[in-house]
Parts: sequence; structure tokens; C-alpha cells
Amino acid sequence: MHWLLIVALGFAVGILVGIMGIGGGIIVVPALVHLFGMDQRLAQGTSIFIILPPLGIGALSVYWKKREVDLRAGILCALGMFIGGYFGGEIAVKMNSERLGSLFGLFLMLSAVLLWRRKHFADPGAKNA
Amino acid sequence: MPDFSSSRVAVFATSCVVGVASGLFGIGGGVLLVPLLVLIHHYEQHRAQGTSLIALCFPTGLLAFIAYYRAHAVSVPTGLLIIPGVFFGGILGGRLAVNLSAARLRRVVAVILFILGAWQFVTPLVRSTAHAAR
Repeated sequence: MHWLLIVALGFAVGILVGIMGIGGGIIVVPALVHLFGMDQRLAQGTSIFIILPPLGIGALSVYWKKREVDLRAGILCALGMFIGGYFGGEIAVKMNSERLGSLFGLFLMLSAVLLWRRKHFADPGAKNA
Repeated sequence: MPDFSSSRVAVFATSCVVGVASGLFGIGGGVLLVPLLVLIHHYEQHRAQGTSLIALCFPTGLLAFIAYYRAHAVSVPTGLLIIPGVFFGGILGGRLAVNLSAARLRRVVAVILFILGAWQFVTPLVRSTAHAAR
């Protein structure tokens, strides 16, 4: 795996994140699996590592200025996702990679439908949902 | 009577479910949280996205990350190489959104994701039936 290609992949993913307001993980995982031949579980673990830092903070400031933020609900959601994430992670590492890949496939299809159906679209400056 | 659909408890319960998906699939969860806030809790789209961004400011995936890390299922060097690209690419993407038809691009990506998903879902099944037929 050439490191330059990986940097380029990150850049390409970032562009899509910025334009479409979707999280990077949903694109990073299939890219690592299909373009770099990475094992499904390893790709998912690497993806969750990537999104630990608050990469969406720039976008958040845009929403904040427009008062389009429910702070309390957001903090509650963070807490819920923190707890839920533990169980999800524990389930994932116990599954074999092939079955996990299948399940991820189902999830990708669901996300694709959600992405397709979204009616409204964020302002150009307001990105990264 | 309080409207349960928009109560804090219901939002919290939703986010727990999103968290399981986040840990299970190694993703941020915004792709699921935003539509659920809109569809179940009747948030306006922008408010849902802004609220999702608040949630994602915290390292919500930390516990999931630890689970993966313990199972040796994290490639730290690859991750470190990807992070700066996503950050700077995101800025460029935000600027490009002004000139591009983002809605159309979103649909193109949705189709690609759907095909990838279907492929990924079907491949192990095909493999196992081929194996069973032998």
C-alpha cells in the first residue's frame, strides 16, 4: 500500500464529506476494503480511529451561527452513541470478517436509500452531517 | 400530554441505537442519526444536521475504538495518513459545493454505495452456495 495513495484517498473522501454532508466512515470503509484489499474488520477499526478527532467542528460553527443546533439533544446523543458504540464494537470484533462484511453491505444499501431520499440539502457552507 | 416522539428520553434511546450501528460498522453515525432525528423526532433538516455535528464533536466512538484496538483490528498508520486528507478535502468540498450540483452528486454516490453494498452482501452468499454445491 503506497502511503501517497492513502493520503490521496483521505483527500478524496474529505471532498465528498464536504460537498454532501455525510460522514467519512461510510465511504472510508468500502474504499479501504475494495481499493486497498483491507480486511473488513481492520477497515472498520481504522475508520473508527479516523473519526475520533472532531473533524466536523468547522462545519458546526456554521450551524451554530445560524442557531440550527439543539445543544442539549446533541450532548444526549453523544452520550447514547458513546454507550451504544461499546456494544456495537464488542459485537463486531466477535464476528467473522465475512459475515460482518455482509451485514455492512446491508447497512450500505440502507444508507444509500437514506442518502437518495434526503429532500433538503444543507447550505454550501453548512456541510458534514 | 407530552409528545413522546420529541422527548429527551426518546432522543437518547435513538442515539443508543445509532451508537450500536456506529460501533458495529466503524462509522460516525451521522448518516443514521440525521434521518432518524428528522423522521422520528420531527426535527427540521438543518437542526438535525447541526445537532448531529454537536454529537460528533465528542469522541463518541472511543469505547468502540478500544474494542477494535484490543482485537488488533486497527491500522493506526493508515488512519493517521487519512486524517489530514479528510480535513483539508472537507474544506475544498465545502467550497466546491457552491458550484457543483451537490444533490445530483449525492444521488450518484447513493447509487455507488447501493451497488457496493449489494455486492458486499451477496458475495459471501454466492461463495457459500458454490462451496455447498461442490
